[in-house]
Amino acid sequence: MKALVKTLFISYLILYIHPVNSHVGSPGVIFEGEAGDYQIMVNINPPDVIPGTADIQVYSTTEGIKQIFVRPIYWHTGDEGSPRADEAFPVENSPGQYQGEVWLMENGAASIEVKVIGTQGEGTALVPVMAVSTAQKEMDASLGWILGGLGIFLVILMITIIGNSVSDATQAPGEIMPGQKRKKIIGMAVATVIIALILYGGMSWWNSWADSYRRYMFKPFQANSSVEQTKHGKKMTFQIDSSYLKYRPRTLSFNYMIPDHGKLMHMFLIREGSLDAFAHLHPVRKDSLTFEVDLPPLPTGKYFVFADIVRGHGWHETISDTLLISEPGMNVQLASMQNEGSWQPSDPDDTYIISNPVQPEQVMLAASNIVTCGKPGIKTPLPDGSTAIWEHDGESLQTNRLYPMTFSIFNPDGEPAELEPYMGMMGHAVVMKTDGSVYIHLHPVGNYSSATQDLIKRRIEDENPIFAGFSHAEHFRDSVDQVVASIKAMSEEERSNYLMQLMGHELNYEGEGEHEGHSVVVFPYSFPEPGNYRVWIQMKRNGKVLNTAFDAVVTE
Amino acid sequence: MEVSLNSQAATLERPMAATSTTNLGIPVYIYATALASLSIIVGLIWDISWHTSIGRDGLLSPPHLAIYFGAVVSGFFSGYQVLKTSFWGSTSEKQKSVKFWGVFYGSLGALFCIWGCFAMLTSAPFDDWWHNTYGLDVTILSPPHSLLALGMIMVQFGAMISVLALQNQPDPAHLSQGQRQLRKNILQSIFIVTAGFFLVMLFTITSQYQNRNDMHGVTFYVVGALLYPLFLSTVARASKLKWAATYTAAVYMLVLMLMVWILPLFPAEPLLGPIRNFITHYQAFEFPLLLIVPAFAIDFIMQRKGHINNWLLALIIGPLFVLLHLAVQWPMGDFLMTPLARTWFFGQESWYFGSNPNYEYRFAFADWQVSTGWSLIKGLLIAMVVGILFTRLGLKWGNWMKNVMR
Repeated sequence: MKALVKTLFISYLILYIHPVNSHVGSPGVIFEGEAGDYQIMVNINPPDVIPGTADIQVYSTTEGIKQIFVRPIYWHTGDEGSPRADEAFPVENSPGQYQGEVWLMENGAASIEVKVIGTQGEGTALVPVMAVSTAQKEMDASLGWILGGLGIFLVILMITIIGNSVSDATQAPGEIMPGQKRKKIIGMAVATVIIALILYGGMSWWNSWADSYRRYMFKPFQANSSVEQTKHGKKMTFQIDSSYLKYRPRTLSFNYMIPDHGKLMHMFLIREGSLDAFAHLHPVRKDSLTFEVDLPPLPTGKYFVFADIVRGHGWHETISDTLLISEPGMNVQLASMQNEGSWQPSDPDDTYIISNPVQPEQVMLAASNIVTCGKPGIKTPLPDGSTAIWEHDGESLQTNRLYPMTFSIFNPDGEPAELEPYMGMMGHAVVMKTDGSVYIHLHPVGNYSSATQDLIKRRIEDENPIFAGFSHAEHFRDSVDQVVASIKAMSEEERSNYLMQLMGHELNYEGEGEHEGHSVVVFPYSFPEPGNYRVWIQMKRNGKVLNTAFDAVVTE
Repeated sequence: MEVSLNSQAATLERPMAATSTTNLGIPVYIYATALASLSIIVGLIWDISWHTSIGRDGLLSPPHLAIYFGAVVSGFFSGYQVLKTSFWGSTSEKQKSVKFWGVFYGSLGALFCIWGCFAMLTSAPFDDWWHNTYGLDVTILSPPHSLLALGMIMVQFGAMISVLALQNQPDPAHLSQGQRQLRKNILQSIFIVTAGFFLVMLFTITSQYQNRNDMHGVTFYVVGALLYPLFLSTVARASKLKWAATYTAAVYMLVLMLMVWILPLFPAEPLLGPIRNFITHYQAFEFPLLLIVPAFAIDFIMQRKGHINNWLLALIIGPLFVLLHLAVQWPMGDFLMTPLARTWFFGQESWYFGSNPNYEYRFAFADWQVSTGWSLIKGLLIAMVVGILFTRLGLKWGNWMKNVMR
């Protein structure tokens, strides 16, 4: 019976979990979906030190909202272990915007429950967040000076007090016996030495505290990427370094990885510097730490590698690395393009795209089907003759502002395109700052929210306030491997339908005006820092994956 | 003598003046610092209870206000005393003060209070930065908390020293015999009360080594031997009261018991997740250690053998303290694990909202918490040596306090 429950639990995890997006340098979590009858968009800025507070902004255009409440729900303790909700208050001079704050006390997979109360009754939405300490802060110079000054004052005063304690203080009023001055000096000298020792001890204590914080602070896992030439082409091995696991809870073991959109790992390779080669791959697990993938015919060069993975309790993270693809003795740019067409992907959903370099002065790759990257507000041709436009009013993009990045796709005849689901979604996007310091894998509106709600709802339905733990690690891994293999073995249509069902996703995508139907994909996002960004989007039309990219400049 | 003035005459020259509340010659700042000491300790225990029951607080939470009130009251009254004496004080007032930095005059107690006030105020921005940098700590001892604790201790010590100095000075000449007796009783009572508050502080800041699960481990007895013989010997030596240590321990126990009895009367709910222990009212802080027993023994020995060599006295008191502490607290540890202790009187039901209420060692000693065999004997011997050394230090400290007159 127990085994059956565990099997069901694992099956449930595999089938229903869908996490928020993994990232590098982009910690904000964005959600667009429904809370009951209210359409809301939520932007959560999690704390960079745990325990700490998450800032929550809720936007809604639905009329009749009276109050909005927010509260944290941890995976480990469910809703039973959550405090009562705090109100998110309307933001002055910003109709439809509410701001709230939630304390996240422990590291771990958590979620924010947003409850909306209004004329249309009550509605709730659940937005997963990962609570981790990531910041290593230094003291401001001004605070340092203030504290330093007060510290010096305290030291001098204490030396004075001790000097007086052993001399004048023990003298009867009005009487000073001989030798008190000497006693005072000796007392002050001894006090100085003792205080110096105490300060030294305090400093060592502080340092050990800081070391301990650094040790347990969230640090992404490291991995080693390598390429070897096989008779079928280039094979990439991605080896995760597990040494950091000793500072992390057991639930983060790689045996507890679960698939996301039917894949255990979503890996993105982006050519460093020019960003003109991009691949979305799905490596195959060889053992709990080793993954392999047959590389597409990418040009030589150094690549950013981002691998997104999810654990069984909703914990998701990105493991990043770099990879050098080289072909000694051959033309640097075109070396590996020669086997284009002969590539046998390890996974049927693996894709890649070659585009123009991000800087105009960089050399354009010589390859067929080169995609020309678009810019916000300008219609851009796609390789299959269709066109895409990032609908934006021309204003410059700003940091920390929530944008519904809206992409409309048109058929070659100019009519709105009929997009099809790709890996269970209407689209995938990758946003990257050109220096690689910001990376995020986004999905369109509405998809992940319903599945995530489902996951958290299941956890909430479990009345045990303390999570009982996963099953045996290897059994868990084997079960997951079997499910992933069976999804991979499906026909493309079967797989697509299956993943759509898995996400609880129906083809009811809402568009506006002339873009009604499935011609529009929206990725809500808030750029975390200024700089030059490239945004790759992937959709499907006429059974073929459409890849394109846009360049954007984001200012403060 | 470098300076020779008749202090009594000097007192007569300006009897009590504006710094005295009554004609008994007890300045207001004595009461103020005693009140500050109480406010601090009540605020601190309330704050700990707040953190175990509610969790979320801000800079101006009620317990914090109680603590800051103590800091501000002691700092304000002590600062006023120093400035007034320095710039507007009479010669006799200056002669009853210590002089520092060339221009300032003040009582030693006031200086301790000022130091404590500044340390406490310094700890606030430091602690705020600390929380923003390393997270909100749920531990009592961290560097900024230690600075705060040191400040609180200094305020409390300043309160004790202020009373003692007054007590050690000759009585004001204008007082009748009855008034002198009343004055003496008041000062001795304030001293005992402030010493009791100080003892509560010592216990509170080291309480993470002294809860019921620690009572069968040697660390508990080493920590006890480090703190209590030192302080109780000091009090017994410094006070002119016959049962000073016993009364001090009684005040300590009473304060902690009152906090155990009163706080849970008020509703409280956790405002931070995750919550594992669902509570509806304040969780009590610790039930006090039964220090009245070894304190009584210390007073008893001091009364009979107080005159012998201090090292010999320490050799008696140190080991005796450890043995009595062991004899009382070991069985007390067993008792506190029983359902009988989970009542309003002992408050052992209290449990941090974030801890699993079904934790298997909530009401049981884990193997690693119990010292047995040689490790127990070795630990107790270490505790005794510590007890001897710290009793000796306490006696010296007490001798010094007995002589503080300014």
